[in-house]
Amino acid sequence: MIKSIPTVVATLLTHYRRHPGQLAMLLLGLWVASALWSGIQAINATARDSYARADAMFDTQLDQLERRDGAALTRAEYHALRQAGLPVSPMLEGEIVTQDGTRLTLIGIDPLTLANDNPLAQADTSNSLTDFLTPPWQTRAAPDALTSTTTLANGKALPPLVLAPALPPDTLVMDIAAAARLLESGNEITRIVTAPGALTEAPAGLTLTRANRIATPGQLTESFHLNLTALGLLAWVVGLFIVQAALGLALEQRLGMLRTLRVLGVSGRSLVLALSVELILLGLIGAVAGIASGVWLARLLLPDVAATLGSLYGAGVGRELNLPWHYWVGGLAVSLGGLLLAGGGVLWRAARLNMLELGQMQAWRSGYRRQLMLMSVGGACAAGVASALYIWLRFQPPGDGLVAGFGLIAALLMASALWLPPLLALALKVLSHLTRRRPLIHWALADMQLQLPKLSLAMMALLIALATNLGVGSMVGGFRLTFLNWLDQRLVAPLYLNAPSEQYADIDAWLAERSEVSERLLTRRSDAVLETVITSDGSHALGTPIELYGITPGNSLTPHWPLLATQQDREAAWAAFDHGAVFVNEQLATAEHLSPGDRLTLSAPGVNETLTIAATYPDYGNPSGQILMASPQLAARFNAPPSSMGLVLNDDVDEGVLREALTARFGLSSDALSDQAEIKRIATEIFERTFTITRALNALTLAVAALALLASLLAQARSRRQQLAPLWALGVPRAQLAQLSLVQLGGAAFVTGLLALPLGIAITWGLVAIINVAAFGWRLPLYLFPWEMAVTLATAVAVALLSAALPALRFWRASPRALLAEEANQ
Amino acid sequence: MLELHQVHKTYPTPQGPLKVLDDVSLRLAPGQSLALMGESGSGKSTLLHLAAGLDLPDQGSIALAGHNVASLAEPARAKLRREKLGLVFQQFHLVPSLTALDNLRLQARLANRDEPDWTAYLVERLGLKGLEKRYPEQLSGGQQQRLAIGRALAPRPPLLLADEPTGNLDETTAQEVLELLLSLVRETQCALLVVTHSPQVAAPLDRCLRLRHGQLINSAL
Repeated sequence: MIKSIPTVVATLLTHYRRHPGQLAMLLLGLWVASALWSGIQAINATARDSYARADAMFDTQLDQLERRDGAALTRAEYHALRQAGLPVSPMLEGEIVTQDGTRLTLIGIDPLTLANDNPLAQADTSNSLTDFLTPPWQTRAAPDALTSTTTLANGKALPPLVLAPALPPDTLVMDIAAAARLLESGNEITRIVTAPGALTEAPAGLTLTRANRIATPGQLTESFHLNLTALGLLAWVVGLFIVQAALGLALEQRLGMLRTLRVLGVSGRSLVLALSVELILLGLIGAVAGIASGVWLARLLLPDVAATLGSLYGAGVGRELNLPWHYWVGGLAVSLGGLLLAGGGVLWRAARLNMLELGQMQAWRSGYRRQLMLMSVGGACAAGVASALYIWLRFQPPGDGLVAGFGLIAALLMASALWLPPLLALALKVLSHLTRRRPLIHWALADMQLQLPKLSLAMMALLIALATNLGVGSMVGGFRLTFLNWLDQRLVAPLYLNAPSEQYADIDAWLAERSEVSERLLTRRSDAVLETVITSDGSHALGTPIELYGITPGNSLTPHWPLLATQQDREAAWAAFDHGAVFVNEQLATAEHLSPGDRLTLSAPGVNETLTIAATYPDYGNPSGQILMASPQLAARFNAPPSSMGLVLNDDVDEGVLREALTARFGLSSDALSDQAEIKRIATEIFERTFTITRALNALTLAVAALALLASLLAQARSRRQQLAPLWALGVPRAQLAQLSLVQLGGAAFVTGLLALPLGIAITWGLVAIINVAAFGWRLPLYLFPWEMAVTLATAVAVALLSAALPALRFWRASPRALLAEEANQ
Repeated sequence: MLELHQVHKTYPTPQGPLKVLDDVSLRLAPGQSLALMGESGSGKSTLLHLAAGLDLPDQGSIALAGHNVASLAEPARAKLRREKLGLVFQQFHLVPSLTALDNLRLQARLANRDEPDWTAYLVERLGLKGLEKRYPEQLSGGQQQRLAIGRALAPRPPLLLADEPTGNLDETTAQEVLELLLSLVRETQCALLVVTHSPQVAAPLDRCLRLRHGQLINSAL
């Protein structure tokens, strides 16, 4: 029988020659599913490649020494350490801008003192060490860091380029002498590094950060990529809905052909085999087209994603796609797997149907009734899974259960999607019963029941896309509101000063004399190790590095600074803060399950302090834990240097005059002072960019769902005309029938949109209360936007009306002769 | 060629089991033709489906070209149908997406017995010359049925089963199609079993049997 398989496959495929619309719909579904999925995977793969290269570099391979006061290290300090016999190596790091505007990180190393096995010293290049060390030197760069010009914006030229594929993106490595000339760093070096474990303690005046305590970009960005993957998976599922709708329709319309083939001696097994071969053939076409488009889409979105990852996590991601071989194989496998998943049900039905009933619509109708029953049961199972996950999550500490959170949302979506067709069928049955005395409406409802099997998958896809759109839209909108409020609360000073740390004392004294300045909000930063956490349940050792941040409480800052939880009330919390208690940010509180009243033991060279937590506060956008202290306390206990100063001005003060006086008096650079509006603008810009890809994927998913609906309607346009023609023959005007078609679909979409509202709210809740807490460490308030809901409903109806318009228009414009022919076919 | 021995078939219905065939036995020799007549619901089509291996009897045996159909697995029954049987239906059952010529060659291709000369001869004899590239819906009812007969005979099967082959045609066309069918059956020397309720169709055949309430009775027309 194998010999006849090509004949059977060729016969099956002839169907699409006569129904190219169905073929287009099938390929469209595959293409879209595969394109969105593979596009996101291309972005993830490229980002992971960048992280892997960055991880392999010094960041996580070397212990680092920096000055405790935050000031730059000097060559003299390095020499002193070497003379003391310490195995250290200098490193210089800075940013350069090429003539074409490309910003690159420049790292200067001394390969002679750097640990021999360090990849930065080797970086996959076989060129000799002498060429690297001596003029004209060499510039090592990965292919995605190569620029079109080797001339810098300041006119200087880079040393000759040498390819070093293992280097991170946008990073150049050269000898420290060459780097010092380009960066004009004079006597300064950025850090001193040493082989892991080579030093037992930090030399005096320096802090030692162990390599294994430096968080890698891969760890920090894991949740971001998980979010992307979830959105990609959603788009993939929506695409597969189209595929399944197309396959189901194609099979239904080929029932006669299948019956004939069986009667002519093609066994059921051979027929399923031939259908599978057909699926794989079509799948390969769709997958290849999808993967190619996915790579194109990834190229389009990658700059925004790279900017987001850079601004959120400080993680460098190459702007050029770098795809390993398993990406292509994986993309193909996922596309074909999805196709077999979507087509599996169809194959199963084809294999099970009785040969003598194969050509009969009744078999499919009873099949659909069974399907509705299975959908109800499946929906109940998914709802059960969602309930179980919800209950489980309630017993977990906040911040745990990222995957379970996604699972809960997926189960909710699945339950709602599976319940949609049975609900619509029930609603139509009830309405049909109620409108028995209004023949045309009664017919329209009965007709809609007939259409439901063919439309249900597209409606399910629409429900999922609408709910996700509303859910993610509300989350982003709520986040935006919260973030802007939070910025307003924290940025209370109109002017912010960033000066060298040694100048702050003089500046502070000078500003104290100025009548224009009502408050000086000095901030300080320092690092420490969070050694122990003491809670009501006991204590546990941590040993993790932590950032200490000092603020100046006062009339401007204290009343507005947002606090999430306090032991008693705000006033008591601030009073304790003034007397040495600390606040911890939400990220740290979530990660370590801390609450006000708990105590922390912090250590730094020569310091060991146990402090009480007075409150927790929100700290959006910060990927790490942070401890907040009053600035004087931080200076006194941890010797923290000043890092910035907010200047609160009296009313009617000319900001410009003060700015000029300050810069002139202390010889500050022009960018030492920033105004509040500028900081807010930059922060908001970063925020908007962070969600660019989310919005883009959301819109694409909705567009895919709209296409699914349109494709379903177009694919059955012919049979719809056969349904409508008898009514036209009975005297119902064509325009009225066309309108009825629009109302039928608009109504169904409206009901779908209504169901999408509570589902969308549930998704928003899942995102803000579970996913965000687990992924980013902060919880957002749940905001609902009635306008967004109205837009969701309007979108549902608009998508349906747009999809129904073309077939309705065709019917309305059909010639009487064509309609008579349809009527005769009845 | 075909032998049914004490065949029973019952279908479940909401009103209880419905006995469709009750102890039916018949024999059709190679090259012989037989008409099976009866009223609607008498079990004619069921008998044809069982003979073709499309369905299985509850009891009894069916031997087709030396094979016991009831004991064969589904793939083996399909092979038997492909190679030993031609089937003609009242509703033609042509593949709408294949041209007339592709429809004609379909079963022969499936059975690996596609003979271009024989196909060309059939096209000529069936009066389909010039219509080879048309799709089924572009042909008249008579042309469609002639095409279905050609498809059934294209692999030169030893047995042709026809279910009301002229039931969907007007009187004149039905007569033409019948004459063509019998003529080709004689040429190919295949056995023929025709299910019909038309005495005109049954008359030219070698034998005629009648089914009533699922039981076979001899008929002399």
